[in-house]
Parts: sequence; structure tokens; C-alpha cells
Amino acid sequence: MSQRLSPLTAPITLDLDGETIPAREGEPVAASLIAAGELLFSRSPKYHRPRGPFCLSGACSHCLMRVDGVPNVPTCRVPARAGMHLERQNALPDARVDLLRAADFVFRSWFNHHEFLAGVPIAEDVLQRVARKLSGLGVLPEKPAPGRAPAVKEEHEVVIAGAGAAGLAAAKRLAERGVTHTLFEREREVGGRLLLGLDPDAPAVWQPASDRLRAGALVVGLFADEARPFLVTVEKDRVHVIFYRALILALGGQPFLPTFPNNDLPGVMADRAVAALIRRHEVLPGKTIACVGDPAAAEALSSVVRKAGGHPVAVGAEPLRAHGLRQVDAVTVRTGDREEKVRCDVIAVCGCTAPSFELARAGGAKVAWEPRAKTFVVEADGQGRTANASLFVAGELTGPKSAGQAAASGVAAAEAIAGGAR
Amino acid sequence: MSKALVCPCEDVTASEVEHAISKGYRDVESVKRYTGFGTGMCQGKECLTAVARLLEAKCQPTPRADQLLPFTPRPPLFPTELSHWASLGFDAQHAPAGGVPTALGITTPALRPEAPVPSRAKVVIIGGGIMGLALAYNLADRGETDVVVLDKGYLCAGASGRNGGGIRAQWGTPTLITLARRSIELMKRFARDMGINVWFRQGGYLFLAKSDAVVARIERSAKLHNEHGVPTEILTPSAAREVVPQLTLAGVKAAAWNPKDAVIFPWPFVWGYAAQAQKHGVKVETFTRVQGFELSAGKIVKVVTDRGDIACERVVLAAGAWSPEVAKLAGVHLPNEPHRHEICSTEPLKPFLGPLVSVLDSGLYFSQSMRGELVGGMGDPREPAGMNLGSTSRFLARYAAALTEQLPQAGRVKVLRQWSGPYDVTPDNSPILGPTPGLNNLLQLSGFVGHGFMMAPAVAERMAAWMMTGESDELFERFTLSRFAEGRMEREDMIIG
Repeated sequence: MSQRLSPLTAPITLDLDGETIPAREGEPVAASLIAAGELLFSRSPKYHRPRGPFCLSGACSHCLMRVDGVPNVPTCRVPARAGMHLERQNALPDARVDLLRAADFVFRSWFNHHEFLAGVPIAEDVLQRVARKLSGLGVLPEKPAPGRAPAVKEEHEVVIAGAGAAGLAAAKRLAERGVTHTLFEREREVGGRLLLGLDPDAPAVWQPASDRLRAGALVVGLFADEARPFLVTVEKDRVHVIFYRALILALGGQPFLPTFPNNDLPGVMADRAVAALIRRHEVLPGKTIACVGDPAAAEALSSVVRKAGGHPVAVGAEPLRAHGLRQVDAVTVRTGDREEKVRCDVIAVCGCTAPSFELARAGGAKVAWEPRAKTFVVEADGQGRTANASLFVAGELTGPKSAGQAAASGVAAAEAIAGGAR
Repeated sequence: MSKALVCPCEDVTASEVEHAISKGYRDVESVKRYTGFGTGMCQGKECLTAVARLLEAKCQPTPRADQLLPFTPRPPLFPTELSHWASLGFDAQHAPAGGVPTALGITTPALRPEAPVPSRAKVVIIGGGIMGLALAYNLADRGETDVVVLDKGYLCAGASGRNGGGIRAQWGTPTLITLARRSIELMKRFARDMGINVWFRQGGYLFLAKSDAVVARIERSAKLHNEHGVPTEILTPSAAREVVPQLTLAGVKAAAWNPKDAVIFPWPFVWGYAAQAQKHGVKVETFTRVQGFELSAGKIVKVVTDRGDIACERVVLAAGAWSPEVAKLAGVHLPNEPHRHEICSTEPLKPFLGPLVSVLDSGLYFSQSMRGELVGGMGDPREPAGMNLGSTSRFLARYAAALTEQLPQAGRVKVLRQWSGPYDVTPDNSPILGPTPGLNNLLQLSGFVGHGFMMAPAVAERMAAWMMTGESDELFERFTLSRFAEGRMEREDMIIG
């Protein structure tokens, strides 16, 4: 029921388990598959439940596939190239008819791996052997990695990680103040959530000077085992070690999965994933899209869906249960004290975004539970200063924010650094 | 079936988290370990918030905000290929420093229970790792149930929860060979005795030797193994390749192979001993810190904790690498020194690697866990002594280079997480056991230099017998603290990691 919102000119083809999938060169492989109506990406590790893409931001495991012989590749991060070979993993004989799904029915609510058959003679040994056979996701690559060039060591002044609302605003202000800085962004285009059309107060996307921007650079770690802390990035398959004088982490938030039965069915997606598919990749993932969860976030998504010709339903309702055999076909929701089952192709869970606090915590910032937002947030002052003097945070790392608020926090962090630079 | 998933990477359901809560695992770190949530490909990005919300909603009493903590950092931020880490390079002359603090929150004061500890107990065991808990279980099994075990963190917070799960009989001294063989026996029937699966898998240990000196060492110890009933064989490189076809065996001159060695999953041992000891009446007090001792006439009469004092007859110090700092509180000097050892785990892969493989020359070791991850590490000769549980990129660079030299296909396998744990290193690489000179009722049970986990079942069994019967046992005569003053060293040279 998905459709492309713009005609597929000069299509390339991908191979998915022997089937031919048309794609637009350079779009995320996950988007190509969704556009082709494929929501079944893999089978889950223990119960072999069907899985399809959820976050489209590299922060979940739902869209992993074997890509050109490399196991467990997040297909939402990989640009489509002609002739790519995609394989669904972890199924017997194949992901469409996976006999191992039986585990899902045998263990109706969960599998107690600690106690199941523990100490039962013979059965215990059989369990160990079977468990060993079924373990693992993906198969060891057949080939060694291509030769990797040695890592590049770089010295920087101010480094900003993340070119979304907060990171761009920080970079813009530093540029205005004449402070040398470099902006690292994992996507090839800047903007982050500003590209999603979900925030009424979103500022226009500011384009940084090309010599200030490192697009396509994935930050994989913030380490402290040399005299000074440094980031490790992977850019075009090459590792870079980035030393800095000051660092602004503006990594935004990552979708988390709200808890309700069948919340892992293919077709359950984060609101930002649905918005990214529509606005960035021009793919409407389903005709009827239930926009459930936080009412304000649901309202924002429903307008993006409507503008793309989709049909938003159950907007802002509380999701109680997803329905469907291999993918979503309906959702039971509660609105006020009324429960109803609503037919839909996609369930977009709205407002379920948690701060990407991991790097900040690795860098020495304090992270605490915020009882109102019910998420972990990075503790910082009004200008993004953390417990570590060279580490600043901006945007959603300190809690939920609109795009406008995130941008303002980026400016404040930039000012804190620029002020210090004088 | 209509499961509600909290951690789709590992298929952990909301019911499973509620079960863990009902078992008494209420902090994020413990629930993570008991259910496995947050240990998959996304490393907690998708599930942590959902689990914390569930804990907030389901735990009674409701946890305060400061009792809900995210789990400690486990670099890297995203799964990253070993070949990328290998390209990072490192300065072999440079000593490693600092690192990402991967042990944050072990001893969070907010998680300390409010109720006081028991005011008296016959035996107080300091350290709720596998040593202390196995001893508590064995004492209780022999009828001594008036035992309190103290740990400053959650169960599995220390080295017992941080090791690679290797179990081998290939040692360099008859004592360790005997202990290891007994431990392997006990581990084999652990599930039957304790009612919890430990995923014991006898895939063997393959030691690789690159230099003539190391070849001589494995040949010497293989002879000793055979004399003690351990079927170690010395293999040529081509015979070793038959054991693990994927290995390059670059620079390898010979290998030692014992198919009976094994790997296990460490955490269930800790929970299993704790649960069975508690069933017998032993008190296991977590998040409780020892602050001092009250001494009188050459004896400890009270253990002072941040939850009250415990009057006691005997104290056992089983705090692993933390033992010297606890001993200091009683005025006792232990010669042990903590040494950081780093370790990492990759994405889970379908089983391809049977044995644990170790290059004895460099200390590289790796095995494939029951879940399919490549778990391994490599000691750093430049690592300074001192308690440091930081994680470094230098380790990933060294480990990745050494691993992909032997197993090039792992180049495109991604590292999911890294952490570190402390080896409890003694001057002669042998443990410190038994009585303390000058403090009659303080018994030592530490100094296992990274292999305490695999020795614990056997050592604890013998220590409980020795404590309860008073019959002499060479373990508690030869390996005493007094040997250092007396100049009697007990050297062990088959240390890896």
C-alpha cells in the first residue's frame, strides 16, 4: 500500500533474496524496500517474529539485513547502489515462511532462558545444542575486509557533532562570531529534524560553508585514553581521530519503542521515520497511517501525512494493541474511555523520542532520569555546560524540545564558547 | 502471539522484565543482565527508556528519580567493524591511560537499601562475586547458614560479571590443574544443582604459540597435563587448522589443544549461588559498603558498614581486586594489585567457532559465546597497576589488529560494546588463601589473577570444608598471605588476557 510520491526516474535494481526491487540510486535501502511494498526485513532472534523498519535512524535493529555478504547491516543507513545483494537473516527456510516462528507460539508470553529445562537430564543437553545452533544473527562474512587506510588524526578548535536544529544554529552563531569550528553530520545533507516538517517553529535550514562541514561522518565514539579527549568518526570507510578544544554534542533524540502488544510488527514506525520517508525520501509508507501517541506530535505528523495524500487515523489516540499476521493491518486504540479497532497500514508512534545521551555520558556529563518527560536527560546549565568543562550539549540531549527551542539552545552553547574565546 | 516487546534486538518482553522485578532485580544494571535487554545490536537505544518507565511503573515502592540510572557507557556508539578499529593504530611504547568510565554507578548510594544489615552473624563474607557467593552456598550446604554476604554494588558488578567465561584445565601447576578439573565437574552439573542454565559448552581451548620459548612452555605444561589426566595434545599448525579452519595461524609454530576445556556464561553462576545460599537462609546484602572493622585482641569483632555494624566470629575477604583496599581498613597489607583488562563483544553470528582460541605470546583470546558474539580481549603489557575500569580505543585497535591477523574474516564483523574488569594480580600469580597473620579470624580468598571465576566452585567447596571441619588442606597452608614474608613463591605461568 506504499507509494512513491515522485516518479522513479532512472531506476536501478536491487536483489532481495532473488527478487528484483526497483530503487532510486542513493536513497536508503530501507526506503527502497518500503517503497516496493516490502515491510518484512528480518526475523527476530528468539521468537522469529517478523520485523520491519522502525526508527530509520540507525538506533534499532529492525531493518538489519545481510548486504553484499556483510551481516547485520542497518539498511536505513546504506545508500542504494545498482546490483546490491540483500538477504533477510535468521529464518528457516526463509523469512516469509519461517518454521522457527513456532517458538513464538510455544513460549506464549516469554521464554525463561534461565530456568527452561535447567538440570533436566538429556533434555538439558539437547536444549544446549539446539540453542547453540539457533543462536546468532547473521553469518560470518566469507571474505576479509578490504584493506583499510590508516586513521587520519586531526586537530580542531570547536567541534559540533550533529547538524540538526541545534547543531546548525550553533554553527551559524560560531560563524557569525568568527570562531573556528567544524560541523560533523552522519547524513549527507544537513538539517536533521528540520527536514521533517513536524515543527511549526522550525527555522529555515542554514547551509554551512563547505569547508566547515563534514557530511557523511558517523561519530562512533568519544574516548579519553590520550592526553586529551577525542572523537572517532568513520567517513567513507576511513577512520578519523578528531581532537578538539571544545565539543558541542547536538545529536538530537532517538526513537524508542512504546510498550503495547505486537509493538514490533512490521508497519509500526517512529513518527520521525514516517516523516523522513515522506519528506526526505518521497515515499508514503502506507495509505492509512494511524498517528498514535502524544497528541501534539501526532497532530504534526498527521498534517505531513495528509499533505502527502495519505489518510491519517486515530490521531493522538493511545495505542493498546497492534493487529496483523505478518504486518500491521489494524490498531486498537483508546480515546478518552472509548476503545476501538481502527484499520491501518502503518502505526506511527508519535512523541516517543529519547535524548541520545550516550556520548555525553561517556564524555563525563551527568545523565539523570527526568520524571516529567520520563526519559534520561543530560544535565547542563542554560548554556549547555556539562560536568566536563570542554563538553557542551545542545538540543534534545537535555530533554524534549521543539525545533525552535533546540535551535535556541544551540545558539546559547555557541555563545558560551564564543564568550570564552574572547 | 501478542507479546509486548521492550527490547526487540534480544526479544525481551514486558512480562520478562516484570518477572525480573518479581525476582528482586530492580535496578537497571541488574535487570539488563537478568533479562538481556539492551545487549543487542542497538545497545539500548530503543529499549532503555521503555524499561526505565516499566521499572518506574511496576516496582514497589516506586523508585525515586535518582534510583533510575542509565546503564554505564559501553562504547562504541554504533556497531563498528573490527577492520576500522584495526586501522586506528596505537603507540606500543605508550602506556594506556584513562578511558571511558564503563563502571559508573556500580556503587550508587541512592540504591543502598534503607533497612539495616543484620546486627550479628557467625560469618561475614565481604564480596558478593562468585568466590564469596560460592563459599556462602557451600557453608550453607554444610549447615552453616548464619552467614551475611556484603557487596558494594549489584550482583555481577565486579570481575565475576566482567570476564570472558573461559574454563580450562590447561594450567602450569598441579594445584591449579586439580582445582580446574573439579570446577569443570561442578560447572557441568551446576544447572542440575542450582536450577539455572549456565550454557556450559565444551568447545575446547586452542593455545597458539609463536616463539620458541612459548612452544617450550606449552610442551612442558602439556606433559604435566597428561600426568594429571588432562588430554592436552601439542598440534602442528596444520593440525590446529583442522580444529579451526578459519585461522591463518600467521607466525604460529605449535598449538596446545584440550577438547575438554569450555566456555560458560558467567552471570548465572553468580545468581545461582546467591539464590541457593539465600534459600538456605544466607543474607546477601548488595549496594552495601564496608567502611571499617572493630578489632579486639587480634580479632575482628565487628564489620562496620554504611548500613550498620555486624558483630561476627569470622570474616572472609573475597573482594577480588578490591581486597587490598578493604584489608587496609583492618590494617592488613595485601600485596595484590588491580590491573585493568579490557574486553569486547561483537555482533552475534551463527556458530562457526568451537574452541576458545588464545595466542599465548600476546595474550589475545577470543571465543564465540552461546549467543553467537565473538567475546575476547588482550592484556596490555604497558597497563599500569591501579583500579581503572575505563574503556579505551587503544584496546580496540590492538585487539582488532591481533584478532584479524588470525581470523581475517572477522574484519567486517562489528564491535557492539566494550568494557573492562580488574585482574587481581599477586606477585607470584597464585592466590592468597586462608588465615591472616596477626588477625586470627580474617580469612583470605583473593588473588586469582583473572582466573578466579573458573576456580571458584572448587576453591569454595574446599574452603567451606576447611572452615567447617578444621581438617588441614594444603590450599590454606601453601597459599597463605605469610608466604610473601617467608619468601615462598608459588609461581604460575599460564596466565592470559
